[in-house]
Amino acid sequence: MRTKVPFIIFLMMLMGSFSMSVVAWAAQYDIREKTPQIQQALSGRQARYGELQQLKSQGMIGENNQGFVQAMGNGPGVGEIVNAENRDRQVIYQAIVDQNQFGSGGYPQVTMVFAEVQRDKAAPGDPIQLPSGEWVKK
Amino acid sequence: MRKMKSITAIFLLSICLYGCTVKAVGDPNRPITINANIVVDIRGLKNTANNIEDMVAKGG
Repeated sequence: MRTKVPFIIFLMMLMGSFSMSVVAWAAQYDIREKTPQIQQALSGRQARYGELQQLKSQGMIGENNQGFVQAMGNGPGVGEIVNAENRDRQVIYQAIVDQNQFGSGGYPQVTMVFAEVQRDKAAPGDPIQLPSGEWVKK
Repeated sequence: MRKMKSITAIFLLSICLYGCTVKAVGDPNRPITINANIVVDIRGLKNTANNIEDMVAKGG
């Protein structure tokens, strides 16, 4: 009996470490292969980032709850930049779905998570759409 | 102590073997289709999204 007690404690600690590793585990997803199309989408987004931020701060463009930008007004060039940005985002989202084998059901989850990240990263005053659908200024 | 070590070794080995063994039953001439539901880890995906958006912002 005396020899069994330390063993049981040891076993419980071992099991505990297994369960903790499961809790702490987070899957690693990434764009594993940057095809020319994906690289172009990333470069395009980087190139228009400054202009996009400016238009957001002016309230002309907002982040919707689907992971895409949306025109909030009819300013010059707003439609073009929104279309180009959304086209590039779609390429990136689809690449994540395809390269991490999420299947067809993974796309809405990817866009939902990106929408959440965009809301988190939005500057104060930028238009954002909440998950409920309501538009607010952050 | 020695007994404890051997039991632990067997325990760990059994976990390894159990985790790596896939048993298939049925007629090999009649393939079956498995509709697997892929569970996306939201926390991992959020890390990825943050990394990509940081990269876009830094390059801008």
